[in-house]
Amino acid sequence: MSQVLIQAGTKLLNALGRHSDLIMQAYINGSVKERDHSPKVLEQLVQLGVLWRPEAQSELRLKSAVRTLLEGSLQDERNRTINANIGASLASLKTLTEHYKEALHYNKYNEAAAHMGDLTEHVYQLSESLSNSVRVMFGRINNEFGYVSSVDAKIRENELAQGQVTDLLAQLECFRFDELSELAGSNRELRHLLVVSLQQRFARAAQELSVVQARLLDLLGRFREFQGRTRLLKGFLLHMEQQPDFAPGNYANLTNVPVLFNQSDAIIANAAPDVNNVEHEADYQNIVASLTHVHKRQTKHEDTKPVDIDVTEQSTLSLEKDPLQQAVEAYFCEVIDSGQPKTALDYFEEQALDFDPEVWIYQVIGGYQALNDEDKQFFALESHGNNDKVYTGNFYINDITLGLR
Amino acid sequence: MMTEQGRVLSALLQGAFICQVTDEEAWRFLKSRDNAAQLEPHLALLNRTLSTTAEGDVFFASFLTIGENERKVLTQQFQDTASNLVPLVEWLLLVQQANESDMPITMGSAIRLNELQTTIEDTPAYAEQLEKISRYRMFGSTSVNLDGQLKQVFKRLTEMGYLIKPNPDKQIYLGTGKIEHLYEMLRFIDETEALSLSEQAEAAISQGSLI
Repeated sequence: MSQVLIQAGTKLLNALGRHSDLIMQAYINGSVKERDHSPKVLEQLVQLGVLWRPEAQSELRLKSAVRTLLEGSLQDERNRTINANIGASLASLKTLTEHYKEALHYNKYNEAAAHMGDLTEHVYQLSESLSNSVRVMFGRINNEFGYVSSVDAKIRENELAQGQVTDLLAQLECFRFDELSELAGSNRELRHLLVVSLQQRFARAAQELSVVQARLLDLLGRFREFQGRTRLLKGFLLHMEQQPDFAPGNYANLTNVPVLFNQSDAIIANAAPDVNNVEHEADYQNIVASLTHVHKRQTKHEDTKPVDIDVTEQSTLSLEKDPLQQAVEAYFCEVIDSGQPKTALDYFEEQALDFDPEVWIYQVIGGYQALNDEDKQFFALESHGNNDKVYTGNFYINDITLGLR
Repeated sequence: MMTEQGRVLSALLQGAFICQVTDEEAWRFLKSRDNAAQLEPHLALLNRTLSTTAEGDVFFASFLTIGENERKVLTQQFQDTASNLVPLVEWLLLVQQANESDMPITMGSAIRLNELQTTIEDTPAYAEQLEKISRYRMFGSTSVNLDGQLKQVFKRLTEMGYLIKPNPDKQIYLGTGKIEHLYEMLRFIDETEALSLSEQAEAAISQGSLI
């Protein structure tokens, strides 16, 4: 028996694999284009229960079992059906449990094991369908019903989803764990399946569904808000079309200006650089260095008319020397002419110069220092004076002697 | 270095609308009640106070007391706003329709300029509408080609703070809190003048003469 079953199953799966193109096209388009495929293949698929013809005139379509398999495995967001028939599943669980207990009672262990296998399968199927439903719900929420475009359609989709959640929650109430626990009695395996496993799944599903419900309400609120905004915009334009001269009242003149229209003007202008701030010097330099356009003030060129250039001789410019400097030069010449050393003050008295003697001495020293090194070598300058009585290192110059080396 | 407080304060005094999109840090700062309270005395010194719109998600500075001068400023501002309403609403609807998602532009909505341009180019009705919008004084476009008109409209909207361009290299714009403020103003006008705009729109839709 089982050998036959395995063979048939392998044949079915092979057929699915061989005609995967056809099946996927049917999945996406909804029906098969019979012209594109050979009648033999189609006939085979119909016999295997992959395709079926709902009415005599209609095209071949995928069987819902195949479609559900694909939707589940591909996590297709178009999948909107939710299996909410938990009550029926629970009833079959109870029946199977009774079978199992009866078989145990009559010591038919083989039968009991088979029933146990069936029961396990059913429990896990129920768990899976619960988590699948929740997943489908979340998938639709997460892309905000992205498979329909208009807000109105989204609102309808949202309402459908909310209805499904409500149904699911109502179905979840069919779970009576006290009954199940009584049913399981003291049998360890049964307790594990019916109480522990189902209860965990139930708790998680209930929790997730409440989250789903909250999110759905949230989304519905947002969609309604969008709808409201669109209406507001469209209504305003319509109104402006009908009454082009409409102007809202001047709300700024009301005693209490509404906050919406009370927006203060900008009062901060950019600060100016403080060029005396040493700390900012480096920054300023960087700024100036990175300027791309430096606007130099350009004096306007007058229209270039030909101008006559005057080529007459320029008047000579004579530099008048300071009389003090002249006197010093004369003093130097006197020393050179006479060849004798002479003190500055002696010369000062001889010539009866009328400068301040101190200024005179300074100027002589300055004159000597101002000579270039070559000229300086010809002269020797000796200062006369005395040390300060109290502070050593201070030297008072009374007079200086200039001579030739 | 300026503290966050100083930065936010100067942004407010520059007349900025602070929302999560334009300046998330400042927005977070202002969301804390303590921080906002610390700013108040500084603002009060300059006859300003912190105000919010769009259910507390957008911050801006408003006048504390309104005297002669303030009223003048506000009146001027209001006249600008009132004359900009029609161009802005037309633009919002155009983008919403051209986006094909039927979602109104709100704070944080992304507008991809290239995609929008393709849609508008392919639909003569949208192109006409864009040309009309770009000619309004608010946008002041003199361009004859669609590309220039669209760029000018978006440039002006960015300058006025309705949009920001987070990445200067990409032509993607985000709606700011100022758009929320615009909706609030429309709603306010609707209620105050008893225009019942939504009902008008609904009636028009049911009549089938959809604009």
